Amino acid sequence: MVKKYGLSAVAMAAALCLSFPGLAQDIWIGLSAEPSTLDPQARDDGSERAVSDNVYEALMARNAQGELIPGLAAAEPVQVDETTWEFKLREGISFHNGEPFNADAVVYSVNRVIAPEFNSEQLSYYASINGAEAVDEYTVRITTSGADPILPSRMYWMKMVPPAYGEDPQFAAAPVGTGPYKFSGWMRGSEIILEANADYWDGEPEIDLVHYRFIAEPGARLAGLMSGELDVITNLLPEFVDVVPNAVTVEGLETSVIVLSTENPVTGIPEVRQALNIAIDRNSLAENVFGGYAQPARGQLVNPAAFGFNEALEAYPYDPEGARALIESSGAAGQTITLLGQAGRWLKDREQLEAVAAYWQATGLNVNVEIDEWGAYLTRLFDPANRPDAVLAVNSDEVLDADRPLSWAYQMGEGASSNADAELAEWISQARMETDVETRAQLYGEITQHVYDGNYAVPLLNMQDIYGVSGRMEWQPRVDAKLIVKEMSVNE
Amino acid sequence: MSLDIAAPAARRPFARTGRLLLEIWHDRSAAFGLSVIVVILFCAVFAPWVAPYDPGAQDLGARLVPPFWLERGSLAHILGTDHLGRDILSRIIHGSRASLLVAASVVLIAGTFGTIMGLWAGFRGGRTDSVIMRIVDIQVALPALLLILLVISVVGPGIATMIVVLSIANWMVYARLVRSIVLSVRQLEYIEAAEMIGCRPGRVVFSHLLPNLISPLLTLAILEFTNIILAEAALSFLGLGVQPPATSWGLDVANGKDYLFVAWWLVTFPGLCISITVIAINLLANWVRVTTDPQEREKRYARHRAGRRRQAARQPVGGQQ
Repeated sequence: MVKKYGLSAVAMAAALCLSFPGLAQDIWIGLSAEPSTLDPQARDDGSERAVSDNVYEALMARNAQGELIPGLAAAEPVQVDETTWEFKLREGISFHNGEPFNADAVVYSVNRVIAPEFNSEQLSYYASINGAEAVDEYTVRITTSGADPILPSRMYWMKMVPPAYGEDPQFAAAPVGTGPYKFSGWMRGSEIILEANADYWDGEPEIDLVHYRFIAEPGARLAGLMSGELDVITNLLPEFVDVVPNAVTVEGLETSVIVLSTENPVTGIPEVRQALNIAIDRNSLAENVFGGYAQPARGQLVNPAAFGFNEALEAYPYDPEGARALIESSGAAGQTITLLGQAGRWLKDREQLEAVAAYWQATGLNVNVEIDEWGAYLTRLFDPANRPDAVLAVNSDEVLDADRPLSWAYQMGEGASSNADAELAEWISQARMETDVETRAQLYGEITQHVYDGNYAVPLLNMQDIYGVSGRMEWQPRVDAKLIVKEMSVNE
Repeated sequence: MSLDIAAPAARRPFARTGRLLLEIWHDRSAAFGLSVIVVILFCAVFAPWVAPYDPGAQDLGARLVPPFWLERGSLAHILGTDHLGRDILSRIIHGSRASLLVAASVVLIAGTFGTIMGLWAGFRGGRTDSVIMRIVDIQVALPALLLILLVISVVGPGIATMIVVLSIANWMVYARLVRSIVLSVRQLEYIEAAEMIGCRPGRVVFSHLLPNLISPLLTLAILEFTNIILAEAALSFLGLGVQPPATSWGLDVANGKDYLFVAWWLVTFPGLCISITVIAINLLANWVRVTTDPQEREKRYARHRAGRRRQAARQPVGGQQ
């Protein structure tokens, strides 16, 4: 009898849910690709992060404005000596499967991601970390190979995983974290579902179910938003801001830049590089191509919200006459330079490439645009032996610190850098190790000025992130571009 | 004496072309197809003189200007401007070069190679047939994009590479079609008769088998032509084909599709060019198919005569009233 009533109660609840879908607050988020895995430490995959950021947490977090705050750590870490940082942990937190979150879990997570045999794609974020050891149940010490002033920022990127379940082969398909949402299901090829974690330490989130759909075509994502099928889409084109029910924007982390080779025949001439920088009307690019949803980069690759941003620098001026005169006087007129890029990966990448090529062509140079398929492009972008004359890339400054963009674009032999300035490389290494905040900021000031004067690169635009959201959503996007569902709410 | 013989021989080709043109002129749809093709070819060849602007000349301040008959549109840009403020009409005119060159070359190369392979396989049969058709099966099973990426990563992008690569990826369909037709036609008596009286294989293949293939091959080639234009677009968009500032119809469609909701003209006009070209070729090819097939030709002639007779029968009635 009781069983019978129970069943009918379930049936009635189900019927209610069906007839009033607004009661169970579900939202649908459109992703451009299906996550390759849900192991939060294995890949460097934006789609995986979009899901994992709600399931997992890290020791440090950022508020919506991008300031570093304690996450699973109880307070800001303390630097015990030059190479050791001590974190106190929040107590009483457990993973979704009941495993306690404690110092052992942190030690396990750190050692797992830096283990060479694990071969994580995120390793470049943690290159300086040597290991971790537990002091007591809620205290951990993390050691670095040299002084590493931005270790707290790095720990914002490293997600904490459960030690016992982390060894389970199921871990990558059915994740278990400490975050506000629990994994509920993954229908391969169609959607991933998360459900609210009622026991979340910082209060139960408002939205009950999150559905992630994978739609590769931007047009199809837009159509999904317009038809009410999706609630949140990313990378909305500025042209559609007025078309969608609601669009929200935030200053993003992405800066587009063209790295110039100082060693190749034509771009090796300093006047030519200067001409390439002043030939571009960045204001027009930002206002027209991006509809105002981008700002001209202020003469540097460092994000305005990041540590090490040089306030003294201004955007390169637009001076087409001066550029033409410089090309003429340096004897480069009529010579050919190659501009390498790719299409479809970043917002308006092809448009920026074609627009820059046209500006450069107008200086009297002959610009040979090469758009490569993504894989071939990456190979050439990172090939230290054959540097392209000019290569367009978009740098995303996730750690919000000058070190990553500067070493990536300028440090000799690293990343996509195309210069042979050994002194500059030495400076960048020095700044990375400098523990005194004042001295470090000053060093970055000198470095950014040096590369500005040498025109080692052509910083283009700081791009805003534009999200399309449905009319019923209330949400303010974050500087770090994370889709934190806990911060969203539905208004019905 | 010798002059008398030479003169008609020299005049004959012109006479034949004239007759053909006259024949096309009688078929209205074929005449329309031919004139569209002539106009498009003219534009492609003389693009720099026909186009009002440089197709790469950008004006970021005047981007996404609609065609002249809409509000905000102007006669300076008859078909409007694209997302970088470039004149769409000029881009279409210049884009026709790459589109037509790639599509025509690929259909020609892949068609010729595939036909030869199919003829060879179907005519020789046995082990030759098995080997060739297994190669076809293997290549059909191999993802074309993978093959294309492989070749392009070795050779480097460009129009010539793209023609070669698309030819390699598209010959199989011709080989299959041709082989199946050859297998059925081979059984016919007149082929057997030709072989009996001692015709060499080459003669049997080219003067007895090949004419049977013209109409199905034409139909297939036209279908493929459209496919190639679109394949060229997809490859160029990924950066494997036409590189900016050069453009093609397909590439402009691919570039413009993100803007479809706010600026339909970016996609519509180059897309329309593709459609019109394909329709024009279709109409002309239909006429060629009928003309090359003796039975169809007779039917057409009969229809033509019947039409004349009906007209003639109606005329006196009209005259009496």
